[in-house]
Amino acid sequence: MNELLTGAVTGILFGFIMQKAHVIRYDKQLGAMRLKDMTIVKFMLSAILVAMVGIYLLVDLGMAKLSIKATILGANILGGLIFGIGWAIVGYCPTTGSAALGEGRYDSLFGLLGMVLGAGLYAEAFPLLKETVLTWGNLGKITIPGALGVNHWIVIVVLIAAFLGVFRLFERKGL
Amino acid sequence: MNILTQKTWSPYAAGAVAGLLLILSVFLTGKYFGASTTFVRIAGFVEQAAAPEKVAGMEYFIKEKIKLDWQGMFVLGVLFGSLASASLSGERRAVPVPPMWEARFGPSRTRRWTVAFFGGAVAMFGARLADG
Repeated sequence: MNELLTGAVTGILFGFIMQKAHVIRYDKQLGAMRLKDMTIVKFMLSAILVAMVGIYLLVDLGMAKLSIKATILGANILGGLIFGIGWAIVGYCPTTGSAALGEGRYDSLFGLLGMVLGAGLYAEAFPLLKETVLTWGNLGKITIPGALGVNHWIVIVVLIAAFLGVFRLFERKGL
Repeated sequence: MNILTQKTWSPYAAGAVAGLLLILSVFLTGKYFGASTTFVRIAGFVEQAAAPEKVAGMEYFIKEKIKLDWQGMFVLGVLFGSLASASLSGERRAVPVPPMWEARFGPSRTRRWTVAFFGGAVAMFGARLADG
């Protein structure tokens, strides 16, 4: 099937689901960062919980492939810190920014435009970063089960237990 | 009650449905969800109009290829999916400044929009560095 069409259909469905879950708003994202409203964390962990079981099942059956990115400690840690600062300021990530615009929260348009600028600046800085930060602590394409040397289903069961524990805590605290 | 016109779904149920959608996507098309590479391509596309030779020689734009692909349509689709959902539930309305922001920083649109712009730039730079 045409990949532009499948991309559009997948995006429409995902945008629909995110709007229904109320995870695309500035107030929800800042609410999570301020530890006051865990709606987006519930959504994300539920999605991960279901998807990790289904995708690993498909992988075990030889019907799908994982898409693993390299772990580069310098780039992941520094990039994560910078992203966190920016995310707290703009209150949208790229996907939720696009969804928020669809819902009418059009301050996200300026966030999206800023993201285009940030991407352009990154492209300018890339030759320098490639020689420096992007070489610091490159561990290659590792996974948690791979690094621990255990079967992936053990990790999945432990994570499911941990997620359910987190959900219980959220509900008990009314977050 | 029709679930399509409902205002809110439980975040757990909605998250589980999103997880199923990802499984289906990986199974049928091999695609995992992502968005930030699309912003690189938009930046490259815009810069191309002003300085095509410069962009043609830039390593990062060569690496990420400036083209409309699955992910670009995914990001655009998200906008329309959200629009459809909010329209069906009657939640779609123009909100220029988020309520939580307004409560803390006041109703100025210029202030919010300026800050959102620079926050977005910082967030995307970090996201790209972390390869997320």
